Amino acid sequence: MISRILLEEVLHKAMSTGADFAEIFVENTRSNSVYMLDSKVDEISDSTIAGAGIRAFNGLRCVSASTIDLTREGLLRCAGQVADVIGEGKAEVSIHLVERIFPDIHPVKIVPDTAFKSTKVDLLKEGYFAAKNYHEDISQVSASLLDVDHNIVIANSDGLYTGDRQIRTRMAVSAVASRGGENQSGFAGPGRRMGLEMFDFIHPKDVGEEAARSAIVNLNADYCPAGKMTVAIENGFGGVIFHEACGHSLEATSVARNTSQMAGKLGQKIASDKVTALDDGTIPNAWGSMNIDDEGTPAQRKVLIENGVLKCYMIDKLNGRRMGMEANGSSRRQSYAYDPTSRMTNTFIANGPDKNEDIISSIEYGLYCKKMGGGSVNPIDGSFNFSVSEGYIVRNGKICEAVRGASLIGKGSEILMDIDMVGQNMETGQGMCGSSSGSIPTDVGQPLIRVKQITVGGR
Amino acid sequence: MSKFEPLKEAARRSAEALGITEYELYYNENGSIGAETYRDEISAFSSSVGGSLSFRCIVDGKMGYASTQLLTEDEVAALVSRAVENSRISEKDEEAIIFGGAKPEDYLPIEEHEFVMPDAATIKNIAMDCRNVLYAADEMVADGTECGASAGESTIRLFNSKGLDLSNHVGNTGAYMYAVLDNKEEKVYDFDSEYNCFDTLDKQALADKVLKGAHAKFGAGAVKTGKYNIVFSTKQASNILSTFVSVFYAEDAQKGLSLLKGKVGEKIAADIVTIIDDPFYPGNTMQISFDGEGVPTRTKNVVENGELKTLLYNLDSAKKDGVDSTGNAARGGAGILTKPYTFYIKPGEYSRDELLAKAGNGIYITEMKGFHAGANAITGDFSIESAGFMIEDGKLTRPVKSLTIAGNFFDLLKQIEAVGSEIELRAPSYTRVAAPDILVPQLSVAGE
Repeated sequence: MISRILLEEVLHKAMSTGADFAEIFVENTRSNSVYMLDSKVDEISDSTIAGAGIRAFNGLRCVSASTIDLTREGLLRCAGQVADVIGEGKAEVSIHLVERIFPDIHPVKIVPDTAFKSTKVDLLKEGYFAAKNYHEDISQVSASLLDVDHNIVIANSDGLYTGDRQIRTRMAVSAVASRGGENQSGFAGPGRRMGLEMFDFIHPKDVGEEAARSAIVNLNADYCPAGKMTVAIENGFGGVIFHEACGHSLEATSVARNTSQMAGKLGQKIASDKVTALDDGTIPNAWGSMNIDDEGTPAQRKVLIENGVLKCYMIDKLNGRRMGMEANGSSRRQSYAYDPTSRMTNTFIANGPDKNEDIISSIEYGLYCKKMGGGSVNPIDGSFNFSVSEGYIVRNGKICEAVRGASLIGKGSEILMDIDMVGQNMETGQGMCGSSSGSIPTDVGQPLIRVKQITVGGR
Repeated sequence: MSKFEPLKEAARRSAEALGITEYELYYNENGSIGAETYRDEISAFSSSVGGSLSFRCIVDGKMGYASTQLLTEDEVAALVSRAVENSRISEKDEEAIIFGGAKPEDYLPIEEHEFVMPDAATIKNIAMDCRNVLYAADEMVADGTECGASAGESTIRLFNSKGLDLSNHVGNTGAYMYAVLDNKEEKVYDFDSEYNCFDTLDKQALADKVLKGAHAKFGAGAVKTGKYNIVFSTKQASNILSTFVSVFYAEDAQKGLSLLKGKVGEKIAADIVTIIDDPFYPGNTMQISFDGEGVPTRTKNVVENGELKTLLYNLDSAKKDGVDSTGNAARGGAGILTKPYTFYIKPGEYSRDELLAKAGNGIYITEMKGFHAGANAITGDFSIESAGFMIEDGKLTRPVKSLTIAGNFFDLLKQIEAVGSEIELRAPSYTRVAAPDILVPQLSVAGE
């Protein structure tokens, strides 16, 4: 995209007033999406995102600038702005970029941006009509097929010069079921860090049917009762509970600034013995995977919590300085226009000792959350919330009637201790995680788990 | 400074070469700077130069669309051919429209706001001054506290083959304080901001407000599960309306995604509820006289004394319903969407104290979190993590947290018993949603 010589020149400029580190991140991203509604292809989005983000550090201070002007003048102007603010006076530095190519652990067979648009439309239609024709109460379906081809180049004043090409594909189907003036919705949205070969093993028909099934279940459901209950949370996107209740609090973004409930707790017991949790950006072709992070550090497999004991945080370069710890492949940004910070990749609770059937049969009265929606957390006090998109009452160890409109709230530090059973069917689900460095693809995951007690918001 | 003119010429040439006669270019360029503090220094400073160009064209009655941030003449040729290619897979029945139907006088003037982009030093000074005032005001101010200042400006250009050539330029500044207080037993926080007042910003008053808000949260306890009279603070009432604003979009109703479908002319809210959409809301520094398709914007009552008067339309949705566009087209990732301007529930007559007195016993809600997950615009259901203060005998008493409030937006509109006179508007923006304090009786609360 930009010559090595120009990258060196830009870094020199950014360092010219005394910064101790400078970095440039250049991006060219092609994204396409086909969207269907009312049984027709309704919209086609086709966009190119391109620009550069330049950062410089001076101790713990960071100055950044971004631009869409990728000409030599544009980049040098951008670097000059950084230099003007980060320091004063003049500094001479020597930077020699040596290119490094990391192994590609996420091969892609069919690059979606180069496939026929009609191929994508056919795949989408299969998913769309599977939902539409699932049941007579399905009144509306919307579906999209998204593909992203994200090309990045990273160079910094330590001499690093590398890049990555991150391709991802996702199909999302939303179904609405209606009866008697009432609407209910269901959703399914699998994605992978791969090309259209994703559909060799994720069948569009299954995606559509799953969205429709969930909408119909909710249409037949009553409101969830409110109060404290024992709750069993299913695998897959159920892992959003760990993502919100704990994951965000383990990001250096909040730990380094001492605004996380988990700051200063390395080596301490923060969860029940049955909880082992990982953040693993190296899982081949998983939605949140990468070869390198957005600072050029290779992706890693990190054990965050082992048998309840906090083992490690997710760390980026800037926050690593504050913490006196090395960056560990956790720095991510939505695009060049965002400053990167520590984020999750594929984060999940590992399989545990309990049999799934024992978990359900252990509950006298409670809630079984088959599918979860999203949630949010405030790392300062760890208070979190998330929504249940498909839930059932459990009575005397048996899953009974479906209930809708429930949410779960609690405090991260408490819920981790209250996870008293961990099952054996670990699976992941795909989400887009929003935080200060933008919206990024992340996997959440877990096996079926039991939480002794949690506040269920219902009515 | 605009790079638009050469891009426009390049697009015109490319369209002509491909025999395209109906097309539109939508361009925006923007710049911003901002600084934030951590402990006793500016920890981060950022600046950005951004923008994009999108091209829409009609081929055989179908619309094709593509956008790019690579603003070079070479890229424009590729952009035009991508849009043409995309038009070929569209299956929309409705005939696509490029707008050309307004007279110059239909575009009402926007308020003039003088704006000069501040320099980096000004931004840093405002952020540091805010920081210093906040830290000096209270010993409990702890790590996590952040102050910041920012400024941004943006230009929109809309040009089409029907003769429209429109532009809009706006700029804003803002300063904020986010205070974390630590009394050694617990941490509490509060946030507030002010806009377009770098010269006159009363930092002490802003700090006092934020600190007062945070202090009041110490020692928050639980509530018992049950039904309560709820007063939503203006900020939270705004959040609720904002979460469900898409139910007022005609395109959502037509898609069967809004329960307001077919309800124009019917009562959908209590008599005391009037909702207005105003592109020219006085004092908003982000006004605009044309929408995302070039249609003139106008002020309208969407709900009047409880009756739904109109939904919000763009050209496409208006054509489907056989009405005129309300000038609410917005630009989105895949072309044209619907968006309101300053969309707000008209304030009523009750002061906050009067509203609390009317509630008698209940909960005053000052914080709600997780709307993106806990609320569903299709069904209207919500179940949201909340915090606030108990109302006992019409007066605020102890703080409470870790509760959820559940209900249904469409029911809530009808249940609103009183509308307050206090309304806080959010940051200047083309699109923002606001509501005053509102009283809603007997909502479900989950707590202990």
